[in-house]
Amino acid sequence: MRRAPRIAPEAAMADLRPAAVVQAAAALLWLPQAALLAFAVGGIAAGQGAADMLMPAAAVAGFGILRALLDAAGSRLAFRMARQRLSALRANALEALARRSPLDAARPPSGLAASVVVEQAEAVVPHLARFQPARWRAAVVPLAILVAVLPVSWTAALILAAAAPLIPLFMALVGWRAKAVSAAQLVELGSLNGALLDRLRGLATLRTLGAVDAAACRLRAEAESLRRRTMAVLRIAFLSSAVLELFSALGVAMVAVYVGFSLLGVIDFGHWGQPLDLGRGLFILLLAPAFFEPLRELAAAWHERAAGEAALSALAALGAAGPQIQGSDAGAAPAPAGAPAVRLEAVRLRHAGQAEAVFDGLSLHIAAGEHVALLAPSGGGKSSLLALIAGLVAADAGGILIGGEPLTQESAARLRARMAHIAQRPHIFAGTLAGNVRLGRPEVDLAAARRALGAARLDAVAAARGAAPIGEGGHGLSGGEALRLAVARLAAAPHAGLILADEPTAHLDGATAREVADALFRLARGRTLILATHDPALAARAHRIIRLSPGLKEAAA
Amino acid sequence: MSPRMAALAAILRLFLAERRGALIGGALLAALTALAGAGLLALSGWFITASALAGLSAAAIAFDVFMPAAGIRLLALTRTAGRYGERLVTHDATLAVLARLRERLFRGWAAPEAAGRLAGQPARLLFRLTLDIDALDALYLRVLVPLAAALSVGLGASLLIGLVDGTTALAFALFVLAAGLGLPALAVRAARRPARRRAHGLEVLRARVIDAVSGQTELLMAGRLAGQREACAAADRALAAADDALNRIETRLAAALAVSGALLLAAMLVAGAGLSARAAIDAPMAALLLLLALAAFEPFAALRRGASELGRAVIAARRTAPRLAPPLLPPPPAMPAPGLAVRLEAATFVYPGTAGPALAAVDLAVADGERLALVGASGAGKSTLLAAIAGEMSPAAGRLAAVGGTLLTQRTTLFRDSLRDNLRLAAPEADDRRLRDALAAAGLDAFVAALPRGLDTRLGEAGVGLSGGQARRLALARLFLRDTPLWLLDEPTEGLDGATARDVLARLCARAGPRTLVIATHLRREAAVAGRILRVDGGRIAGAARRGEPGFARALDALRPD
Repeated sequence: MRRAPRIAPEAAMADLRPAAVVQAAAALLWLPQAALLAFAVGGIAAGQGAADMLMPAAAVAGFGILRALLDAAGSRLAFRMARQRLSALRANALEALARRSPLDAARPPSGLAASVVVEQAEAVVPHLARFQPARWRAAVVPLAILVAVLPVSWTAALILAAAAPLIPLFMALVGWRAKAVSAAQLVELGSLNGALLDRLRGLATLRTLGAVDAAACRLRAEAESLRRRTMAVLRIAFLSSAVLELFSALGVAMVAVYVGFSLLGVIDFGHWGQPLDLGRGLFILLLAPAFFEPLRELAAAWHERAAGEAALSALAALGAAGPQIQGSDAGAAPAPAGAPAVRLEAVRLRHAGQAEAVFDGLSLHIAAGEHVALLAPSGGGKSSLLALIAGLVAADAGGILIGGEPLTQESAARLRARMAHIAQRPHIFAGTLAGNVRLGRPEVDLAAARRALGAARLDAVAAARGAAPIGEGGHGLSGGEALRLAVARLAAAPHAGLILADEPTAHLDGATAREVADALFRLARGRTLILATHDPALAARAHRIIRLSPGLKEAAA
Repeated sequence: MSPRMAALAAILRLFLAERRGALIGGALLAALTALAGAGLLALSGWFITASALAGLSAAAIAFDVFMPAAGIRLLALTRTAGRYGERLVTHDATLAVLARLRERLFRGWAAPEAAGRLAGQPARLLFRLTLDIDALDALYLRVLVPLAAALSVGLGASLLIGLVDGTTALAFALFVLAAGLGLPALAVRAARRPARRRAHGLEVLRARVIDAVSGQTELLMAGRLAGQREACAAADRALAAADDALNRIETRLAAALAVSGALLLAAMLVAGAGLSARAAIDAPMAALLLLLALAAFEPFAALRRGASELGRAVIAARRTAPRLAPPLLPPPPAMPAPGLAVRLEAATFVYPGTAGPALAAVDLAVADGERLALVGASGAGKSTLLAAIAGEMSPAAGRLAAVGGTLLTQRTTLFRDSLRDNLRLAAPEADDRRLRDALAAAGLDAFVAALPRGLDTRLGEAGVGLSGGQARRLALARLFLRDTPLWLLDEPTEGLDGATARDVLARLCARAGPRTLVIATHLRREAAVAGRILRVDGGRIAGAARRGEPGFARALDALRPD
């Protein structure tokens, strides 16, 4: 069993290191800027005029511009890396989803898969682009500032260093806060949007029950109660972040007090022989908030981390282990024409999580060009048998031969190119009706698609719809039209010698069902047809009827 | 006013109507917090410079350290407490406004015309709705609150400088407003197109992912699944290009704001030195002005996120605004003459946006207590006729009269709510005894009794799963709670196995009693309970047969057996 390659978070961090280094360098440019500002004020106090300030001012501006550009370059770099990672993660998730067997009951439904791959995955970018560099800055910048302050005043450095053991405490506070905030947010978003969408999906029912007003009031009441609960969590969460801010203000204030009293001459210690003057004092004061700034930035980015990591694990979960399709999903060159025989030998299939096997030791032989109906009640294993023949799931034991060639991982894609499949509820793709017939197959051009639509008696519908989109994003087709579309797809695949049809008329009214069946048998002439149905009238039109019963050992032919 | 601004104004009015005090209070608190932060830095600079000068002279003893020190403490506490209050108030107000917005949007979508659009493309519209609510969430927190903070600090700093020197203050104010507001405005403009491309790109990617997952079998059998994955990758590349354009704009805005801040700082350094040399101010004041310039521009940096959020919020506002107007409900159908449950006279029904009528000049009279089956190919107009009788559509021509009816839709919709609340949608005042009675009539009492939490069991994603038959029975119990004289049933046993279907039908008929029933169907078992079968074809009534007439048996035979 293969698994989609997962991208380790460590690798993502390694990619982001250059961006983090550039952004940290930009943050460190505040050191020379602060020094220039501090000593310029010292100059003003000493009576220097505007002309004397031109050089320091130009340097302050220059460093500022350089800092802005470096920071921009770093954040662009980080964004590009993170966005590329998102593309790779999406591609991996889709590849893993494509490999999962349609018979896998744990395979996520399309709505869930789309919301993970499209919306939730977006959280990966801020997580990587903001949180990771912020973490780097938090590790580097405070240390560099400490090194810059130490030569000026060991006491100020000591005060900041004394605040350093508080940092783990900060981080604990931050983590606590972030956890609470993100939990609150998840609850809030999940249930509020979910409740609204849920009620909107059932709008027709609510309208006919006269319950629109009641549902609106209930939505409001739910949102209000959620607001109260969320605020109870936020009150604590915000309090902890206020504590964090108070701590950092306290650190700055202690430095300021020390500097102020040193300058007043009240305190005379903490320097290396040369007492603090205005320039040095201001320099230390300007650096003190910058010492704590990266920690506050990290705290701000923390909830992006929670959302990002939730997205990463949701993406990984899409590719969870389970039944897989056989062979590659890339398709293969059109195979030799002609109707193949199908042979199953002692096949065994058991669905994951179920004790009873669907089939055990099932053998059957269908001759080339033969039309066979598999007759069984719902849940009798008809669809599973068709899926086995199509390589949509692998048998646990036994062998399947299509046209004499064993169905294996290597041959599956090539053998599938010899088959066509009609599903009970065909999926309608976003796009035009003709596009729905072509399905992007290069060998089916627009003219062929039009002919196929005609063969399925959909030409009138196609003329009425024209280039208007159907499927997701457009208006759908009726059940009968959808089945006729499936027939048109079949008509556009003349090289497919084996037709697998899975209850093609189950949900149709009598007239449409007859029409679809007629078209199916007309197109199946000269090809092998395996038709799963619980409709005895439809089954009677086949050359042979095979009755399946649940858990059967051998088919009665 | 441009349509963009009009839509935004409509949303803002809704915001203000809901929590005017809290929204304005939150913005004021944000302003106070930002002012305290700027004041703290400026006062600290003044204090240290003044201390240094005092330390040099003999005035050290006389220098009053307590007033400025107390000021610094006050500002630090104000900033911390202000930020806490701001966060609480703004989040509370936003949550309250969004609660109201969700309710309003729901009512807006419940209007028949909007509901029709929603039913046509539910996935896409619901996806948009989720994105739009999130975008509007950011409008106040990320755009308006930072804007209030930045503007008040810019103006406050200008006023303070104005006390010292008018010309410097004017130049300062002009620069701060021009750069601090002009640059984000430019970014908002530039972000408009990529924001639209991004919104479109998300929808395309979503549609292709849904196709790749839902259409997996079709694509795999056509050898096109890898091709579909490539199509998804192409959609992601287009989305990445829009994302990249937006990030470039945001990064450039941040850099331009930072460069402006550096230039302002440098200019203030020169100006402060000049003023000090002319003895217009002393050195501590020069330090104060310099640090004020440093602090005053800081809040504008927070507008970088807001500039990109505003584009999304405008798109969201334009899409949601039409749903915020109070919906126009069609008048309920008139009452028919005594003895009749439904009366249609040359009634024509047209779906908005379609060329031909769905039902053309239909004449129909259904007597009180009659059981009528509507048959015909799918798309013939059976469901339209049911919807019309239920009062969902008004006739474009002709007349419609019907007693109050309840429609059992083809798809069973259960809500993510408790079993009890799912039932009580149909009868809000019903007590548990009545609910159990309805469940028993639908044949679901034993199942519910076996549930550990009984009627409190939650249904839906996080709750218990029901089989198709159980869900249908629950929908039936809900119908039983509706005491209307007319029940409209759209394929009530479709998708059920024969035994379950016959049991459901028997219970339905027993419970219906003297009610009028109209059943749309293509199944023989469902039509067999009717006293009259009406064939609908191409939006017209093509034939009718009463029980006992030879046509009745023929009509039944044309339908699908179990």
